Amino acid sequence: MPEDRTEQPHIVTCTAPVNIAVIKYWGKRNEDIILPINSSLSVTLHQDQLKTTTTVATSRSFQEDRIWLNGKEEDITHPRLQSCLREIRRLARKRRNDGDSGVDSASLSHKVHICSVNNFPTAAGLASSAAGFACLVYSLARVFGVEGELSGIARQGSGSACRSMYGGFVQWIMGNKEDGKDSLAQQVEPETHWPELRILVLVASAERKPVGSTSGMQTSVKTSCLLKHRAESVVPGRMVEMTEAIRKKDFAAFAELTMKDSNQFHATCLDTYPPIFYLNHVSQQIISLVHRYNKHYGETRVAYTFDAGPNAVIFTLQQHVPEFVHMVQYFFPPETNGADFIKGLPVNCASLSEELKQGIGLEPMPKGINYIISTKVFTHIYPHKQLLQHCIIGLL
Amino acid sequence: MPEDRTEQPHIVTCTAPVNIAVIKYWGKRNEDIILPINSSLSVTLHQDQLKTTTTVATSRSFQEDRIWLNGKEEDITHPRLQSCLREIRRLARKRRNDGDSGVDSASLSHKVHICSVNNFPTAAGLASSAAGFACLVYSLARVFGVEGELSGIARQGSGSACRSMYGGFVQWIMGNKEDGKDSLAQQVEPETHWPELRILVLVASAERKPVGSTSGMQTSVKTSCLLKHRAESVVPGRMVEMTEAIRKKDFAAFAELTMKDSNQFHATCLDTYPPIFYLNHVSQQIISLVHRYNKHYGETRVAYTFDAGPNAVIFTLQQHVPEFVHMVQYFFPPETNGADFIKGLPVNCASLSEELKQGIGLEPMPKGINYIISTKAGPGPRVVEDPTQHLLLSDGFPKKTM
Repeated sequence: MPEDRTEQPHIVTCTAPVNIAVIKYWGKRNEDIILPINSSLSVTLHQDQLKTTTTVATSRSFQEDRIWLNGKEEDITHPRLQSCLREIRRLARKRRNDGDSGVDSASLSHKVHICSVNNFPTAAGLASSAAGFACLVYSLARVFGVEGELSGIARQGSGSACRSMYGGFVQWIMGNKEDGKDSLAQQVEPETHWPELRILVLVASAERKPVGSTSGMQTSVKTSCLLKHRAESVVPGRMVEMTEAIRKKDFAAFAELTMKDSNQFHATCLDTYPPIFYLNHVSQQIISLVHRYNKHYGETRVAYTFDAGPNAVIFTLQQHVPEFVHMVQYFFPPETNGADFIKGLPVNCASLSEELKQGIGLEPMPKGINYIISTKVFTHIYPHKQLLQHCIIGLL
Repeated sequence: MPEDRTEQPHIVTCTAPVNIAVIKYWGKRNEDIILPINSSLSVTLHQDQLKTTTTVATSRSFQEDRIWLNGKEEDITHPRLQSCLREIRRLARKRRNDGDSGVDSASLSHKVHICSVNNFPTAAGLASSAAGFACLVYSLARVFGVEGELSGIARQGSGSACRSMYGGFVQWIMGNKEDGKDSLAQQVEPETHWPELRILVLVASAERKPVGSTSGMQTSVKTSCLLKHRAESVVPGRMVEMTEAIRKKDFAAFAELTMKDSNQFHATCLDTYPPIFYLNHVSQQIISLVHRYNKHYGETRVAYTFDAGPNAVIFTLQQHVPEFVHMVQYFFPPETNGADFIKGLPVNCASLSEELKQGIGLEPMPKGINYIISTKAGPGPRVVEDPTQHLLLSDGFPKKTM
């Protein structure tokens, strides 16, 4: 065919979001195809503040599959990468054989070059594997001309990546089947549903590298009976409650459940043997701050959630953002006084009353937090038409 | 009767031990008479290192019940104190009415003066209420001439006090009855059973006052579903395993279970809403130290347990004490270099190999630990025969030197 004679690679670039779980995933029932022991639910964050960008190129001239992450070539034989490549190609072939004319047979027969970058530092520990694998799968799908349900493939790269395949509020249904065909993500509500919801990512100061998620959750599944009880008896009810709270835009219910689930996840880490500590003294102080802040106003205005690392993610409504951000800055005074402390969406000024400061009654913890990213809920993955020059230079 | 005309008070002094739970009690099913949601098991510590001393005096001339704790008069109307006084008097009257001639009717009809001190600082957060109430109940029983099962009364002063009524290894059976008559402590093994077992209390630096146990466990019972599951489904099996490990003197099994139960207790605190943090960064570092130390030697030589406060209690066998104590001193270097750092039983010197220090691979945390008390398992409450040890003078009031 004429297309085969051209040396021009077929290139597609996409971006994908980070997601933050409010009902946590921790523990697999199947390590190979990544099936979880419980369902989970997340909020997709806006890509203006946090995203992965991935360019995929295919060409007859490429000798082998290759991948560059954040400027460095990585090992393409990594099992999780192989899972995604294998599964997306399998799906493309199946569609083609079923007569889907959208499938790009040429690309499907070629090797791929992949280049991916995050617009946030990897060292920040900000759930980049979810965004990364979601972006990879979505980009490969665009290159091969595959449409439809892709979350199951993203799931095999990194469990939580399936939730980054959708915007807004997303659930990952655990499924029952052994083959995992029913373990998929689906949108609960789009981002447009709750426009007043805001997210603040409190990026912690760099510390000793925490226990990685994959091995951490394996040890938890093996040793924690509280985790087993959580998965079987607690999470199902919470998924229903959380979905309801989001549907009704009931912030107090959403917030309380979010905090409880974060704490319960960390409780199961502590019930692991040996115990896993993701919450440090800064995390504990942030938690105290939130509870005291809510108590001061007699209402649940702010919620925290923590993943398998030191960063805190705060949920609140837009009217509370200025005061709470300045509270964080007051109780966790940064190294330099503040120009770089608040990133992302602009945050209005706010003054803190003496009454509030006294009411909180905590000792400031200097340099406990590096900076804050102010963001909101995001809507959907979309492909870019333009090319990223620095990525392409690496590919060609 | 001739005895009534004397103004001499009847004075008794007793001492009682501290106990450290290895299967934890956290949560009540009945607040009034203190019935727990699960059974618990503890090790009684030796009174040479940690004890409460209580003197009880009764006299016809006393106008009212009064109590002095660590030199200061306290409120005798505190419900927990009243429970103990009321219950011990009730038991004494019942025994007398049943014909028990040992009961001292005179004392029973009089008011009491009580004076109590600890030989360790209250600020150290070292479970003084267990020792305190056990001592109070034991002393009152001696004064009134009541013998036999007393742990049920101590329990009503402070839950864990019932376990301080015995030495060695003690379990508090949760019981089923509403009236709590079967919620009692009993000895699992005496302190002579496992002579090689050693305990190190790592007294933490003073910090923000943690959430008190009583309100903390109330909130946990109310809000933590993991706690409910623990009480119903996990603890019963662990009580059996722990009893077995102690009977067989299987240190590895004892140690692993102790660490798991401490961690699970703290996990339920984290699952409480609002969450309760008793483990701080020093606690986390001690936990890391223990796991790395055990990993370095490929065997479980040391175990930790933490209660509702920052102090760590370490269990180990006597041959490991010198090295581990020096490890703690190395990784938590004290303010002054060490003369007062190790208290209690003498600890031999030990040098730490570079290989060991590298193997642990942790950053030292200066002044994280104030001092260490080296101790062992010990006996239950006992009477102090030496009258010069009484904390109350013959007028029934505390010695001025206190």
